[in-house]
Amino acid sequence: MDDVRMVERVVDTDARDIKFQCKDVQVFYGEKHAIKDVSVDLLDKTVTAFIGPSGCGKSTFLRCLNRMNDTIGIARVQGRMLLDGEDIYDRRVDPVQLRARVGMVFQKPNPFPKSIYDNVAYGPRIHGLARNRAELDEIVEKALRGAALWNEVKDRLGETGTGLSGGQQQRLCIARAVATAPEVLLMDEPCSALDPIATAQVEELIDELRATFSVVIVTHSMQQAARVSQKTAFFHLGNLVEYGDTDDIFTRPRDPRTESYISGRIG
Amino acid sequence: MTDVTSQPPRPVDPPAAPARRSLLIEDPRTRRRNAAERRFRAYGVVAIALAMGALVFLLFTIFRDGTSAFFQTYARIPIAIEAQVVDPAGNRDPAEMQKVLTMGYGKLLDNSLAAYVEANGIEIEGLDDRDLSSFFSAQARADLRNAVLANPELVGTVIEAPVMTSSRIDGMFKGRVSRESAAIDAKTSVAQYDLAMAMQERGDLQTRFNWDFVTSTDSSDNRPEAAGLGVAILGSFYMMLIVLVLSLPIGVAASIYLEEFAPKNRLTDLIEVNISNLAAVPSIVFGILGLAVFINFAGLPRSAPIVGGLVLTLMTLPTIIISTRAALKAVPPSIRDAALGVGASRMQTMFHHVLPLAMPGILTGTIIGLAQALGETAPLLLIGMVAFVTTYPSAPPEGFLDPASALPVQVFNWTQRADPAFFERASGAIIVLLVFLLAMNLLAITLRRKFERRW
Repeated sequence: MDDVRMVERVVDTDARDIKFQCKDVQVFYGEKHAIKDVSVDLLDKTVTAFIGPSGCGKSTFLRCLNRMNDTIGIARVQGRMLLDGEDIYDRRVDPVQLRARVGMVFQKPNPFPKSIYDNVAYGPRIHGLARNRAELDEIVEKALRGAALWNEVKDRLGETGTGLSGGQQQRLCIARAVATAPEVLLMDEPCSALDPIATAQVEELIDELRATFSVVIVTHSMQQAARVSQKTAFFHLGNLVEYGDTDDIFTRPRDPRTESYISGRIG
Repeated sequence: MTDVTSQPPRPVDPPAAPARRSLLIEDPRTRRRNAAERRFRAYGVVAIALAMGALVFLLFTIFRDGTSAFFQTYARIPIAIEAQVVDPAGNRDPAEMQKVLTMGYGKLLDNSLAAYVEANGIEIEGLDDRDLSSFFSAQARADLRNAVLANPELVGTVIEAPVMTSSRIDGMFKGRVSRESAAIDAKTSVAQYDLAMAMQERGDLQTRFNWDFVTSTDSSDNRPEAAGLGVAILGSFYMMLIVLVLSLPIGVAASIYLEEFAPKNRLTDLIEVNISNLAAVPSIVFGILGLAVFINFAGLPRSAPIVGGLVLTLMTLPTIIISTRAALKAVPPSIRDAALGVGASRMQTMFHHVLPLAMPGILTGTIIGLAQALGETAPLLLIGMVAFVTTYPSAPPEGFLDPASALPVQVFNWTQRADPAFFERASGAIIVLLVFLLAMNLLAITLRRKFERRW
C-alpha cells in the first residue's frame, strides 16, 4: 500500500460539517434484511469509502442516499437519513428534487446514446440551470473540465457519447453528474470496468472533486479506498462494522472482522 | 500406536491415465455428437426449403392467375352516334336526352360493329345479332351514354374511342376462352370467337394495361370486366388510418403505464394475462362485438370504415401493447438509472430516453399489427362490409361514415361469383393486397434502420 500518498491526503476531518446523518437505517428487500441498524455520519467535502465483501450491503446503502432504491418495488427503508438536517424519506420529499442534490455515478459507464454535449447538458436542461445557450455551454465546459475530459473531447462534442472509450465514458458520466451542481456525489464502484490508467485518472478526479462535493464511493479495491478516501466504512453482512478515519481503519482496525477483511482472510 | 498404523501407508495407485488417442481420429462420442449436429442442420434446411417452396408456389399461382386482371381488351372501331337514336327530339337538350336509356346506346354499339364488319369485308358463318350485341361490355354502353350526355356536341358525329369488350372476348386473349369452350358456352359462340380473332388481326382489338382495375368500383355479376378495386382500396385505407390513429397512442400509453408506472399487484397481473388472451381471440369474435356494440348499440352505420376501423383497432391493440412492452423491457436499465440519477422524473426518463430507444420495436410492432388488420376479413363480414358498393366514399372525415368495401372482403366477394373472370379479378386483388403488405413491411424495416442508428 502506498502509505506515503495516503498520508499526504489525510485532512483534519473533525473540522468538517456533517452532510448526511444516518440513524438506525434498516433496508428490507421483501423478506431479506439487507441493511441492519446502520448509523453513520458522512462529512461534507470529504471522500468516504464504503468497503466490504460482495453482498454486504454497501451498494444498497449507497443507493438509499439518493432514494434510487425507490425504483425497486420490494425495497423498504426504515430509520432516519438526514441531508443537512432534513429527512430524505419524509413524505413531502420529492425524490427527483433530492437526486438533483445527490448525484450518482454507476458501476458500468452508462452515457445516454446522444452527443457528448447533450449528455452533459441534459441535467442542467431539465433542472433549468441555464438561462441561455451561452450559459449552458459554460456549464458543459466546466463540467467536462472538472471531469478531466475537456481536452479530449472539446473538438467533437457533437459525437455520440457511447463512441468514447470505457474510461472516457465513465468520466463523461462523472461530468454529467457534476453538471447538475450536486452537493453529494455517490459513486458505485466507478472504476470496476476501467483499466489501471483510466482508474488512476478517475481517482485523481475524485480527489479534486472533494474540494466542492461530499463524495461517497463504494469500492472493492482496498488500495483504492486507501488512496482516495479520508473516511472509510466497513460493511459486513448488512452491518456497519467499523467507521473511522481511513488510515485508522487500515493501520489500526479495532474490530477483528475488519482486520480479517483488509488482510484478505474474509471477503 | 499399533503396528497397522505404523506401517508406511500403502502407495495409492494413481488414477489410470487415459489412453492417449490421436487428435486426427474422431472418437465415437465426438462422432455421435457431430452426426447429431449434422442431422439437426439438415432438419433446418428441410424446414426452410419447405417454407420457401410453399411461398414460391403460392406466389406463382397468384401471379399466374392474377396478372391478367391488370390487362383488358378494348376494341377501337368507329362509333356512329346516330342523332335519331340518342336525341329523338333533335334539340340537343341534355334533359331531353336523359330519357334515352342505356339500352339505346347499346344499339349504337351494335350498329357500329355491324357496320365495321361489313366495311372490312369480314365474313363469318353464323354471326348473328346476339353475337354482335354481346361483343361489348354492358359497361361500354353506360360509358358511352355518360360521354354523350356530358358532351352533347358528339351527337351526329362518328367517334373512335376504345370500347371495352365483354369478359368472354377479353378471356379469348388471356387463355380463358378457347374456340372449343366458346362452342359450348351459352354466353359466347364460335362466330364471336372468329370475329374477335379477325379484329385482332386487323389491329382493332388491343389488350392493354388497365388502370381501371385499381381505380374503378365494383360491378354487378354480368360485367366482371368493369369491376375494380377503387372502393375497396379507399375503404381499407380509411380503416388503416383509423386503426393507426387510435391504436398507436392507446397501445403505447397503455404499455408505458403497465411497464413503468403501474403497481405490481393482482389487478395488473390480471390485466396482463387478459391482454395476452385478447391477442389470441379469434377475429370473428371481434366482429360480433363490433356488430353488437358499434352498430346495434352505438347506432353507427353498417359497412362504414369507421366501424371496421374500430373493430380492427380492438384487434390490433393487444399486438401493439405486447410488442411495445417487449421493446420497453429491452431498453437497458442502466439508461433509466442514468436518467434518474441526474434527477430526471420518471416521465422525463420515459420520454427523453426510454421511448426513443424503444421506438424501432414499437414501430415494427405497430406496422405488423396494421398489416394483420389490413388482411383481416372475418370481422368485416359481420359488420356488413361485404355489401355491394358502387360509389366511392367521400373524403374523410365524412367518408368514414360512407359505405365502403375492403380489400380482403373484395377478394372473398369475387371468389364467390360464378363468372371465371371474377376469379381472375380476385387473384389480381390479392396481388394488390400483397403489394400493400410488402410496402408496409419495407416501411417497418426502413424505420427500424433509421431509428436504430441513434444507439
